[in-house]
Amino acid sequence: MENGYRSYHPYVQFLYYLCVSILAMYFNHPLFLIIACILMVFVNISHDGGRALRKWGLVLIVMSMIIIVLNPFLVSRGTNILFYFRDKQVTLEATIYGITMSLSLVIVLIMFVSFNLVLNGNRFLFIFSKVLPRTAFLIMLAIRFVPLLNRRLEEIGMVHRIRGMSMTEGSIRERAKIGMLRIQLLLTLSLEEAIQTADSMKARGYGIGKKSSYIPYKMEKRDWGWLLTLVLLFLICIVGGSLGYGKIQIYPELGTLHFFLLDWILFVCMISIFSFPLIAEGREKLRWIYLK
Amino acid sequence: MARSRTYLLIVSVIIFILLITAFVFFQYNAYLLMSLVIIACIMIPFFARFELKKIKGREVVILAILAAIAAIGRVPFAGLPSVQPTSFVIIVTGLVFGSESGFIVGAVAAIVSNIFLGQGPWTPWQMFAWGMMGMSAGLLRNIWFMRKVWGQCIFGFIWGYLFGWLMNLWIVTSNIENFTWEFFVSIYVSSIYHDLAHALSNVFFLVVFSVSWVKIMNHFKRKYGLLEG
Repeated sequence: MENGYRSYHPYVQFLYYLCVSILAMYFNHPLFLIIACILMVFVNISHDGGRALRKWGLVLIVMSMIIIVLNPFLVSRGTNILFYFRDKQVTLEATIYGITMSLSLVIVLIMFVSFNLVLNGNRFLFIFSKVLPRTAFLIMLAIRFVPLLNRRLEEIGMVHRIRGMSMTEGSIRERAKIGMLRIQLLLTLSLEEAIQTADSMKARGYGIGKKSSYIPYKMEKRDWGWLLTLVLLFLICIVGGSLGYGKIQIYPELGTLHFFLLDWILFVCMISIFSFPLIAEGREKLRWIYLK
Repeated sequence: MARSRTYLLIVSVIIFILLITAFVFFQYNAYLLMSLVIIACIMIPFFARFELKKIKGREVVILAILAAIAAIGRVPFAGLPSVQPTSFVIIVTGLVFGSESGFIVGAVAAIVSNIFLGQGPWTPWQMFAWGMMGMSAGLLRNIWFMRKVWGQCIFGFIWGYLFGWLMNLWIVTSNIENFTWEFFVSIYVSSIYHDLAHALSNVFFLVVFSVSWVKIMNHFKRKYGLLEG
């Protein structure tokens, strides 16, 4: 039994990720993005202590550094000139833009790390099974075939090794040829069996009526509550953003970074959306402590 | 059948042009977001057709296994950087089973391989690029040069580059407010070798294996009467 944030309905989780990714690309005020980024890191830590994120850490840091450093040198738009580099102007605007852009990208990528942890396999497919039932079924079948084919590939590889056909030595041409030969063997082996799978599906009535499936997820009261809350907060953010709050003007001249009243309201809304998993986990922890 | 093919061609071309013009003409901030929305819109007609078409259980399973093979094909090649048979499997599927099957296998292979390798903002782009690869192979399959191995090789070579260029677009579109030709060129130059490896491995696989793969798949197609048209 899963608990905390992971026990919420996949729809709610999916909506959360949707809101996060859209807002991360929607706002461009540096303070909004920095706080959002920090919150996403905490969300990842709340999942598994940040283990999955650590694998990505170096890539993310290097990538954002490259964007931040390269952007002002590649782009010379903007009015506030910091200095000249080889007769090209390096502007404050381009630097700020590089920072906001890399932050947006980093938030989205961190979000996907969390996405892969929480909405994996079945949950991911469950979301699409209502909209695109046949496609979801096809994907599910394909995913089921992957471990099977993997095992077959290993067997084929062992037979090949006994016959002296190795993937680890020889020229790239030969290795590629042997690799492809293995996949061809896999194809002939699997196609015939796919027909058998299909026949047994047919024998059990596939295609006669609507496909029913076991659904281990149920929308409960708290799921509805969070669904509505997220939608409401998200709408506020979108409307506020379309009025220009939570955003700064970068080109041609950097606008003000000042926070107006509405900026603060949007800021709070955004923080509440981003910290949904943290609130869910925290509530569970508190309840555990008080029940003991 | 002919109608559905023109329909697919027209829809995909029109929407792709819309995608490009939208980037060029509209003043809008969240480009990466918009590009993902447009990509999703491009693929909706294909998935809708697949959902609504009458299709046998056998055909669904065959498509699933082809997508799984395309996705898993990366495993034995892990030691050979940027050589992967996924594109080859998708092209051959398009050649034998037609454009719609080619698209579905390409798009599903992208999702499935990313379920194991990690989803990201690149997933929709990969789905689109591989889907289009399969679809175009299916569309061109009855033209005389695609029946010849050298024609298929040219096709595979071009798609090796097109795939890389489409995948570069996700970096470009996430950064379009800053768009300069220098930036654009630097991204495309940096991917030349990787794309070349992809293109050459496509050609190599098509030269050595396309005849036997087409034969194997055609055999199954005829034996069980699958996915005709």
